[in-house]
Amino acid sequence: MCLRSSSYTSPKPCKHLADYKLRHAFNGYDSLQNCIKTTPIGRTRVDNHNTKIPRCNFCNGYQGRLYICLMCSSISCSIHILLHTQTKSGHDVAIDIERSELYCCLCCDQVYDPDFDKVVVSEQIKGSCPGRSNKRRRLDSGMELDLKKSKQLIAMRDGRAKSCYPLGLRGLNNLGNTCFMNSVLQALLHAPPLRNYFLSDHHNRDECKRRYGEKLCLLCDIGALVSAMFSGDRSPYSPAQFLYSWWQHSSNLASYEEQDAHEFFISVLDGIHEKESKVRNSSKDDGDCQCIAHRAFSGLLRSDVTCTTCGFTSTTYDPCVDISLNLDTVNSFAAAKTGLSTLSGCLNLFTRAERLGSDSKLHCQNCQELRDTSKQLSISRLPLVLCLHIKRFEHSLIRKISRKIDQYLQFPFALDMTPYLSSSIVRSRFGNRIFAFECENSDSSAEYEIFAVIAHSGMLESGHYVTYLHVNNQWYKCDDAWICEVDEGIVRASQCYMLFYVQKLLYYKANKDLSCNVSVESR
Amino acid sequence: MSGPNEDNNTQLASHFFGDLLDSIIVDVASECHRIAKLGLDRNLEEEEEEMRLSVQARARVADPSNSSETNTKYVVDIFGQTHPSVATEIFECMNCGRSIAAGRFAPHLEKCMGKGRKARLKVTRSSTAAQNRYSRGSPVSTYSPYSNSTSTNRLSNGTPSVAGEEYSNGTYEEPWNKT
Repeated sequence: MCLRSSSYTSPKPCKHLADYKLRHAFNGYDSLQNCIKTTPIGRTRVDNHNTKIPRCNFCNGYQGRLYICLMCSSISCSIHILLHTQTKSGHDVAIDIERSELYCCLCCDQVYDPDFDKVVVSEQIKGSCPGRSNKRRRLDSGMELDLKKSKQLIAMRDGRAKSCYPLGLRGLNNLGNTCFMNSVLQALLHAPPLRNYFLSDHHNRDECKRRYGEKLCLLCDIGALVSAMFSGDRSPYSPAQFLYSWWQHSSNLASYEEQDAHEFFISVLDGIHEKESKVRNSSKDDGDCQCIAHRAFSGLLRSDVTCTTCGFTSTTYDPCVDISLNLDTVNSFAAAKTGLSTLSGCLNLFTRAERLGSDSKLHCQNCQELRDTSKQLSISRLPLVLCLHIKRFEHSLIRKISRKIDQYLQFPFALDMTPYLSSSIVRSRFGNRIFAFECENSDSSAEYEIFAVIAHSGMLESGHYVTYLHVNNQWYKCDDAWICEVDEGIVRASQCYMLFYVQKLLYYKANKDLSCNVSVESR
Repeated sequence: MSGPNEDNNTQLASHFFGDLLDSIIVDVASECHRIAKLGLDRNLEEEEEEMRLSVQARARVADPSNSSETNTKYVVDIFGQTHPSVATEIFECMNCGRSIAAGRFAPHLEKCMGKGRKARLKVTRSSTAAQNRYSRGSPVSTYSPYSNSTSTNRLSNGTPSVAGEEYSNGTYEEPWNKT
């Protein structure tokens, strides 16, 4: 398995393009540089100032595709472009006027050149946004916890004895409507960075008591929980101390009633962060926070707001610990094709450029006026552990009530987040030109493997949560105190509410460490 | 009777329309060509395989002749243990010291700690959550641009204390807002 250093490949130039570049380098590109014009949202065209309406030199036609020769700037239509190259030797490469794409007249095909794309993109950027900030976040993977280097996974293990289930598998007693808590705890405790952190005793409970003497520490309780889960004792564990601790921390959520798993998840991460920043006496913002919650889950979202009149784009960054997605229901075009809602459909919806209504005009710095805008989200930095939350609720405008959306959502076990990265989104905004955009971040991989699924069944106000865990190549269902083996098909067919993915590299490492006895599972 | 001018105009109009349409089609072709040549559309096979597996899994689960997973709920778990529907493990409440059964711990703790519906002020959960977040300078963000945390946007578990509304599976005519 190899990591791509960039998310695109630069294709080999055809013989004719290569020849042209050898002979003329960038002369042709440079001379046309000033003629490249971009509309604020849309295409890039070559605007030759000489002629009002570009017409073919041979037939005077103005219809269809027109090409401008890189050598002599004469314009030919698609019918006569071959004639041009035949009559003028060496005039092999032209540009599609409407789209600023290179065309090789002899290969009769569109060709691609990074140097040309660079020129185009420079014009696009120059034209739309003077003086953009070039903030580039440094990636801190925080991956190097106390783990030895992982080796290649080997041999299949068969004849698994009943006593030989992976450590960490243990039921959690329902303390009274607490399945929302149990389901999230199962997922969190099996998230490789968190699990390893607590198992390596990074938060030493004795030392914590000694230094801070506090009766209640959420981190200590999670540590105790992890130890109990991995102790080898298989009887269901009652996370009572944890519940008590958490209710002290999130007093607004402390009640015996129906609760939401996602809300609990956010609350726990918040609790971990608070405690750790107290310990470290630091107050860094989310983006650089080194607490285990942020090191595992923190990513960075990028929001681009573009003025539809002049193309000026203002960019902001926001840290996040998860991504909440709206369902791409059958009302959306993508789902309508197959009749199936998919996770990629939801992610596409999330990163789609959206025109904000004219009732929400924003002030454009460039135009110095209120303008219509378009907003687009993308992921600037991916987290180690990616938590995707599916918003399974609708609110009726008329009746002012909500209901749950039971619609099935297809989700993959292996997830490639490349198309949703800022680098991909920004590049596609510039027509997918070959260009190293500032947001290019090749440090981390965008490939993920699923390790936990929290599924919800029932209605909005009452229902049940279970967690499916993938450990050592086997899926387990964690239903409060009950742990069962299930086939992967059950998981695929389940009604997912929260999906937990971990970066592929970490996933293989984690599985290796977790194997009991000495043999390991192959994947 | 329609004059030659009107015919001409219609012809011109459809001519221009045809031109525009051709241009748009070429746009799409050019974009797809670029994406394909630059290798930006990888993983199509993997995606299709995942889709196929999901569809297959759903079909199997929907098939009544297959023994559904709920049949295994729940005689014995993978460790050979069996559990009652309400957890019976007994331990001491860390607030008051009384011995409580696990399955009844949460309702007990609620009263014991003075929490719960009756004990606290009548505020919606979301506004207190938001207040708490801001007052603590809570750094765990809920990225306001696209989150809409109202108390209704939650999937709850457990039995409702008030009879909830039943929703039929029929189609609705009223507009639903995605939140």
